[in-house]
Amino acid sequence: MSTTSQKHRDFVGEPMGDKSVMALSGIGGILGKKLEEQGFDKAYVVLGQFLLLKKDTEMFTDWLKDVSGANSRQAGSCAQCLKEWCDAFL
Amino acid sequence: MPMFVEDPANFSKSRLKSDLVAHNVKLPPAKSKKEVYVELHMQHIDQKKTVEFSSDEEVEEDEEDDMEGEDGENPGDAEMPDPSALTDDDLKAALLKHGVKAGPIVASTRFLYEKKLRKLLQSDGHHGQLNGAKNGMMYSDSEEEEEEENGEDNDAESSAEEENKETVEESDQADEESSQVKLCTQNGGFTYPQCFLPQMRRVQAGSQSVAANVYSSSSSSSSSSSQTFSITEMLKEMEGRRSLSTSANSERAFNGGNVQHHWSQSNRLDMPSVVNRTMKNQSLYYTPKAFPQEREMQEPVKDDFKHLFPAEITPSGIYATRRRPIKGAAGRPIQYMYPDTPVSPMTLQRRDVERRLVPVHIQILVFVTVTCLLYLIYVCVEDNTFSPIVSLLDNLNPGSNSGEALLHKTEAQDTPALSEWE
Repeated sequence: MSTTSQKHRDFVGEPMGDKSVMALSGIGGILGKKLEEQGFDKAYVVLGQFLLLKKDTEMFTDWLKDVSGANSRQAGSCAQCLKEWCDAFL
Repeated sequence: MPMFVEDPANFSKSRLKSDLVAHNVKLPPAKSKKEVYVELHMQHIDQKKTVEFSSDEEVEEDEEDDMEGEDGENPGDAEMPDPSALTDDDLKAALLKHGVKAGPIVASTRFLYEKKLRKLLQSDGHHGQLNGAKNGMMYSDSEEEEEEENGEDNDAESSAEEENKETVEESDQADEESSQVKLCTQNGGFTYPQCFLPQMRRVQAGSQSVAANVYSSSSSSSSSSSQTFSITEMLKEMEGRRSLSTSANSERAFNGGNVQHHWSQSNRLDMPSVVNRTMKNQSLYYTPKAFPQEREMQEPVKDDFKHLFPAEITPSGIYATRRRPIKGAAGRPIQYMYPDTPVSPMTLQRRDVERRLVPVHIQILVFVTVTCLLYLIYVCVEDNTFSPIVSLLDNLNPGSNSGEALLHKTEAQDTPALSEWE
């Protein structure tokens, strides 16, 4: 079983509903703020972007790095989190 | 980068936005329509482009012609080399050609797909090109012309040496790369970090081959006497290398006059890397020189140490020299001296008392003499005769009869004495 953080487990465990971007795994205070500035104020908007990229984690990580300045680890964690959420609920 | 006329209407909103930002144009409010962006784009940026174009019209027309020619010649390389100029549909089609099923190309996804297409084009460029040092179809427009120029130059040169060709090509390309860098940065704010990586590689590749040329020539000149490490030779080599860098060649005669010019060109760009390599190889060459020096160094060092070892050789091989006395507490004079054997106070008292008192032996002697004296006195009291001591002495003698006789006489004398008293 891969090491997943508590945040990851919390997010993937239930429908995201109206959760903030900060609830995503790998997205902390600073990155969350940057995303909000870009217009991605809710987790479902980021999910929308993920789905637009056809759930391609690689492209999503590239996008996230470009938009928010996340590093590889953070972006990868977020992508993985969203992917698992999609697998569970979509 | 924009080598041909672009229609801003084909751009995505994000692209227009970034272009405006790059040209320091104030952005309209965030939720305004694309048309607004297009208008602004056309106003500000196209004006600038016309200014640029007016000075370079002929060149760009030639380039456009070349572009079309290239398209005809190389359909497989790239339909339209600049992904950012493609429409959304074209971009999607290009990606599909490379086997990538792209999702909807929207404002937010556009940039990513352009990036992806660029990557794919680059990888195609790698495989398609014969020359291994070439990177990036994104540079193919200008580069292919340069290649033609280089080809002409190479044919014109009479020198048959491949080294020169390589240096010419690479030095020219290095110059043009530097100009392309400037163009890259001007390109609407899209700074592609990938730009720089291939250039870096090329510069390094150029410098490597350049450096290789240096050392191949230098090694060939010194191949005859490469074994000996004479100082004069090393100085010559070092001077040779220095002269190359300063373009006053000792190897001018060797390579012909062509290299010198190119050295000066390439050195401007490759100086740091070449200097590094010269430094490295200088250090390599220094080591043999250092050996005799080191040997000399080691010998006096050994001599210094030998005097510390004792002349005798112990069986265990362990040498122990007397330790120097420690300065400090050990050096000070003894303030308080302890007795050798620890003695308790009671024993000390006893010893004092015993000194004052009479010793036991003497006491026993005195006792014996006193008892003897007392016994003599008793005998004298018992026997009134004036010679009791004599009788005692006689008694002591083995002849005891005379003693008894004396006793009888005395008794007889005593009895008449006693009778006389009555």
